Amino acid sequence: MAHGVLPFGVAAIDRALPGGGLARGALHEILGAGGDEEDGALAAAFAAHILGRLTKPPTSPSRSLTRPGPSLSPLKGGEGKQTLSLSALGGGEGRGEVGMVLWCLPRPDLYGPGLAAHGLDPGRVVLVRASRDAEILWAMEEGLRASGIVAVVGEVGALPMVASRRLQLAAERCGITAFLLRRWREGGQATRERALPNAAVTRWRIAALPSRPSRGEPGVGRPRWRVELLRCRGGEPASWEMPAWEMGVPDATDHVSLAAALADRPAAPVAAEKYRRTG
Amino acid sequence: MPLADALSFLPGLATTLAKPAEDAAALRRLAEWCGRYSPWTAPDGADGVRIEITGSAHLWGGERALAADLAARLDRRGVASRIVIADTLGAAWAMARFAEASASVVILASGRLRAALASLPVEALRLDPITAQGLRRVGLKRAGDLYAMPRDALARRFGETVARLLDQALDEMPEPLSPLGEVPSRRVRLSFAEPITEPADLMLATERLTADLVPRLAREGTGARRLDLGFYRVDGRVERIRIGTAHPSRDPRHLAALFRERLDTVDPGLGVEDMILAAHAVEPLPAEQIGLPGHTASPHPNPPPLAGEGMGGGIAPLLDRLGNRLGLAAISRLEPRESHIPERASVRVQPHLTLPIPTDQVRGLKAHDAMGPLPLPPKGRRGPKTPSPPPGAERAGVRWGISGKPPRPIRLFDPPEPVEAFWLLPDDPPFRFMWRRRRHRVMRADGPERIADEWWRPGGAGEVDAIRDYYRVEDEDGRRFWLFRAGLHGGDRKPRWFVHGVFS
Repeated sequence: MAHGVLPFGVAAIDRALPGGGLARGALHEILGAGGDEEDGALAAAFAAHILGRLTKPPTSPSRSLTRPGPSLSPLKGGEGKQTLSLSALGGGEGRGEVGMVLWCLPRPDLYGPGLAAHGLDPGRVVLVRASRDAEILWAMEEGLRASGIVAVVGEVGALPMVASRRLQLAAERCGITAFLLRRWREGGQATRERALPNAAVTRWRIAALPSRPSRGEPGVGRPRWRVELLRCRGGEPASWEMPAWEMGVPDATDHVSLAAALADRPAAPVAAEKYRRTG
Repeated sequence: MPLADALSFLPGLATTLAKPAEDAAALRRLAEWCGRYSPWTAPDGADGVRIEITGSAHLWGGERALAADLAARLDRRGVASRIVIADTLGAAWAMARFAEASASVVILASGRLRAALASLPVEALRLDPITAQGLRRVGLKRAGDLYAMPRDALARRFGETVARLLDQALDEMPEPLSPLGEVPSRRVRLSFAEPITEPADLMLATERLTADLVPRLAREGTGARRLDLGFYRVDGRVERIRIGTAHPSRDPRHLAALFRERLDTVDPGLGVEDMILAAHAVEPLPAEQIGLPGHTASPHPNPPPLAGEGMGGGIAPLLDRLGNRLGLAAISRLEPRESHIPERASVRVQPHLTLPIPTDQVRGLKAHDAMGPLPLPPKGRRGPKTPSPPPGAERAGVRWGISGKPPRPIRLFDPPEPVEAFWLLPDDPPFRFMWRRRRHRVMRADGPERIADEWWRPGGAGEVDAIRDYYRVEDEDGRRFWLFRAGLHGGDRKPRWFVHGVFS
């Protein structure tokens, strides 16, 4: 936690993470689920949401999250963790929130408007296309050594233990946060890779849930996700079922609820009702 | 003389097969190696190399020293040679092949050009054998015999070539030399007394060269976009590393680092005796303020990511490192465009092209010409890629539209992937579709959102196939897809369905 944490802005998740947020300067792994393991749409959306918060200029409303608010105070054991995260974040903001995101991927299928809808300014993303996993890992490591980069994302299939450890060490050294989005083309590789250990600090799995038809409205309802924290260094695995708009995902009403708006939402007790903790 | 005759004259004559292609390749290599003397070199015929040393002889201590150096090196490599330095290519060619002097190095002073050529046979004027024979038949045996002839008479009788070649040899008409490869705008050379082979030595030399080159670029206010580092090996081969940069650069450490990554691709053989660093493409790069120590945070909340960098910070060095390994085309950024066509609303552009371009230059015919009509979705599984509009086109004032339109997917497939879909009513979304050998049952759907062709583009109207109806569908697992139907019902062709993207 040498580089501080980035709170999700979703109290339930922040509570499960040591330090009250996602560790900066560390390697995080994000998995898709089911058929999305190949496309990585949810993993990309989840990453975009985090990156959007990571790259917000200091003057943006996201800063209000760092203010000690009533929303955090009732949480159990919240006091100590809260101060830790606040001081760390304060240091992080001055260091380099302004910068680019290096996104290394084998097929440049990221869509700008989609990223923008998840709160990440596409103008901040530099895409690096490399066909082989080894090249993507190399590019990520280069990015972790460079200046002007706030976060590095890589979409890889095969991930050797050594490579993940190198990335984790590089991320720790320079304080740049790295994300690995796992995309697997075929089931055999997916099964193999899922079981392999790696050096990432957290491992997430994001799955889509069928939307609930709301108030008799026809059509596609609001997206719902199951966010699973499969592994977390210094924390417990957990899982949440949540409406995706809590994470800044645009819903079916054509409106975008940006993460910034979450800052001023009602305090934690209300949030606690919204989530059903399943794991 | 046929081989049989020759063997009867001289039994035991050593023979070897002629290999013109290999000879030509070897000559080309030799010419390339001669690049250590001047960038203007080219193979000449089957047995010669031309080197333009105007302006580079002084680097070697004069023409005589240059010729001596060249002769010694050729000798060491076992290449029999005669070196002639003259004012014109024609004269040098003639003297090298027809002069009776025994010396291996001949330097022809400017004033002696006519006199020296006069005694040579007419063949020395680079004439083809038939023309030369014709000249001999009328008694013109020596080049000097032609001096007095009126040029128009010569041209009438023997063709334009004779007169031209004579004039060129006598320096009365210019003769350009087309060099092998590209002539750099700046180059620096480093020679070693002892050939070097160690990677560490090569790196050290590379650093010296870049440090040499940079002040010259700085004086001109330019930065290099493309650099070529040549390793001249003792065996006459030339190894090269070429690097490119995304943004003009004259940071010696950065440039040296770019070379370092590729240095292991260089085979020094028995040793490298010369290294030449050439800057091929230079672009203006104004003088810059070097960042003050300790001052890293930018006053701008959102600075243009590449501007004003090069000597210290910024991501340009990173892009160069990535680009030189993966190819500069692998690096891109997303730019919004004013278009309803989904794949046109977000395009990938080269990072260095995202520097501000004046809008009045952007809105031109060129941009629209290049766009063309909306491409039809591919017929097979993989169709041709959608041509992306030129950089800078229609950029002015475009922002990422996230409101006002139905949601857009986070991943967009280019080209759209065809699916096998089943539907009931013409305007309904499918109730089931097959994609990537997997069956998806459509539980819910939104739509259609009709996106028609951009008819105002040249050739953009009238295609029924170009009308797309987009549906956002959710399958039984909750995954969401962006499907579209290309074409309308009731036409001659059945409409086809595609997956264009996936939602989060």
